[in-house]
Amino acid sequence: MSYEMIALLMFSTLMLMLITGQRVFGAVGFVAAAASILLWGKGGYEMPFNASIVLLNWYPLLTLPLFIFMGYMLSESGIASDLYRMFHVWMGPLNGGLAIGTIVLMVAISAMNGLSVAGMAIGTSIALPEMLKRGYDKRMVTGVIQAGSSLGIMVPPSIVLVLYGMIARQPVSKLWLAGVFPGLLLAAMFIIYIAVKCMLNPDMGPSLPVEERKMEWTEKLRLLGAGILPLLIIVSVTGLFMMGVTSLVESSAVGAVTATIAALVKGRLNRKVLDDTLHKTLSVSCMFMWIILAALCFGAVFDGLGAVHAIESLFLDKWGLSPWGVLIMMQVSYLLMGMFLDDTAMLVIVAPLYIPLVISLGFDPVWYGVLYTVTCQIAYMTPPFGYNLFLMKAMAPKEITLVDIYSSIVPFVIIMTIGLGLVMVFPQIALWLPATYFGK
Amino acid sequence: MPNAIKTYVRYVEAINRKLGKFAMYLVFVMMGILLFSSISRTFFNVPHIWAIEMAQFTMAAYYLLGGGFSMMLGSHVRMDVLYGRWSPKKRAVTDAITVFCLIFYLVVLLIGGLSSTSYSLEYNQRNYSSWGPPVAPIKIIMVIGIFMMILQSIATFFKDLAKAKGVSIK
Repeated sequence: MSYEMIALLMFSTLMLMLITGQRVFGAVGFVAAAASILLWGKGGYEMPFNASIVLLNWYPLLTLPLFIFMGYMLSESGIASDLYRMFHVWMGPLNGGLAIGTIVLMVAISAMNGLSVAGMAIGTSIALPEMLKRGYDKRMVTGVIQAGSSLGIMVPPSIVLVLYGMIARQPVSKLWLAGVFPGLLLAAMFIIYIAVKCMLNPDMGPSLPVEERKMEWTEKLRLLGAGILPLLIIVSVTGLFMMGVTSLVESSAVGAVTATIAALVKGRLNRKVLDDTLHKTLSVSCMFMWIILAALCFGAVFDGLGAVHAIESLFLDKWGLSPWGVLIMMQVSYLLMGMFLDDTAMLVIVAPLYIPLVISLGFDPVWYGVLYTVTCQIAYMTPPFGYNLFLMKAMAPKEITLVDIYSSIVPFVIIMTIGLGLVMVFPQIALWLPATYFGK
Repeated sequence: MPNAIKTYVRYVEAINRKLGKFAMYLVFVMMGILLFSSISRTFFNVPHIWAIEMAQFTMAAYYLLGGGFSMMLGSHVRMDVLYGRWSPKKRAVTDAITVFCLIFYLVVLLIGGLSSTSYSLEYNQRNYSSWGPPVAPIKIIMVIGIFMMILQSIATFFKDLAKAKGVSIK
């Protein structure tokens, strides 16, 4: 049997396994282990465990549990509710002001934490009930929260870019800086969309009644103080790392501790909060780590099959694609594969196949990392494998149906696709900041 | 369900819960190591060569020892396009079958782990680094984690089987 056939067979078995609803890591691991034994016999038995040794040496991955811990701690600390009150008062007079405030809040949270779980948890617990109470359109509300929290993996610190950096062997500091403007661009596009939509149709996001936002100017200014603590956290995490004081992993530890201190100062830290946070951190970390463990083995089998060359010859020789054609093909394949493969597994399996090709075609791997991350953001929001969708389903109140959640993302996915196109056509959006900072 | 199975499930879950609750706190150990080495280096100019590897080892222990407990908590994501629409019973039946694939993977993982650990023990293998710690201890911990994960998967199989038959396992 040819190697292409084996690769195809592996993918189709994986798809079948996933459809049965077995845990993703089990499905991926099973296909990988079975294939390696069938292909290489006795030596194949070693492959799954070898992946765990690779993982042991992936030092930057330590940021994962620490950022997860930090994210849940932040959402418990009450920092976000103060911030939200600030946006509430300042943006209230606008139609759709609360939704815009939510996006800005999400950008702030994204700048503190590297995952979308924190934004999701804060969005559903604080922003969602407030907006529903003020008569915002529920599809608008869920869309805003999902799209906004997806910025968590683009705006630094970002765990997806850390993972990408390990696979592509690119410096995380560059990748993080490259994510700043694309992240802000997406946020700005979301805001424009909300503003225009609510101007045309004020029922979707009515402005706050005057009596509710009547407030002394001193009080209004005092509310701005809510921004100080988040700024401190941003400086202590990304700032210290960028200045070279702390290493990447140390900066995530600093973040986890700062968030805990913030919760302590605000008097929110008690036995129950700590226990919940620890449970959720273990849950989410284990989910990601076991998927990465299984996917690494799958990737190693693919590598053993020579899949890198197979893909190169398929794209360049058989299909005769131009470099840009290859690039677009890759993005499309991510979106298609994202339909049935979990996004983390996809990054670990597919990215090592694509990155050498991207580099040999003369594209910048840092820029490609940003493109990948936008694609990931889209994938996180689209069924069937959307982490944000899962979280939204778990956290949203009863009155929001599944149909609401699914249809709410449509306009935002369109905006993100446009954003992806913009970053593709104008690489400077991503690359200007790292080039300026590192003086290249 | 026979009593032996009930006892098995109860014991395995009790052990995994204990183990998971222990692993849960390792996140503080990681934070502690990293902060200590960071502060020591920045303010006292004393770098510690063991910090990175110790943190890495803690991380491996964290997700492998916590694996069984995370499975009990149901934290592992599934593709739920079809699965999500099935009745609880149909889910249990499917799970009771496909969990053998999961167990197969874990067993291969364990076989590799055992052979790798015995190699490390036999040749007193050390990490290639300035600190150069022996790797056998962490490998033993990893193997224990994988083994407990297998026991948990088998317990999950029994629970699914009970659910499929519509009987209680408690």
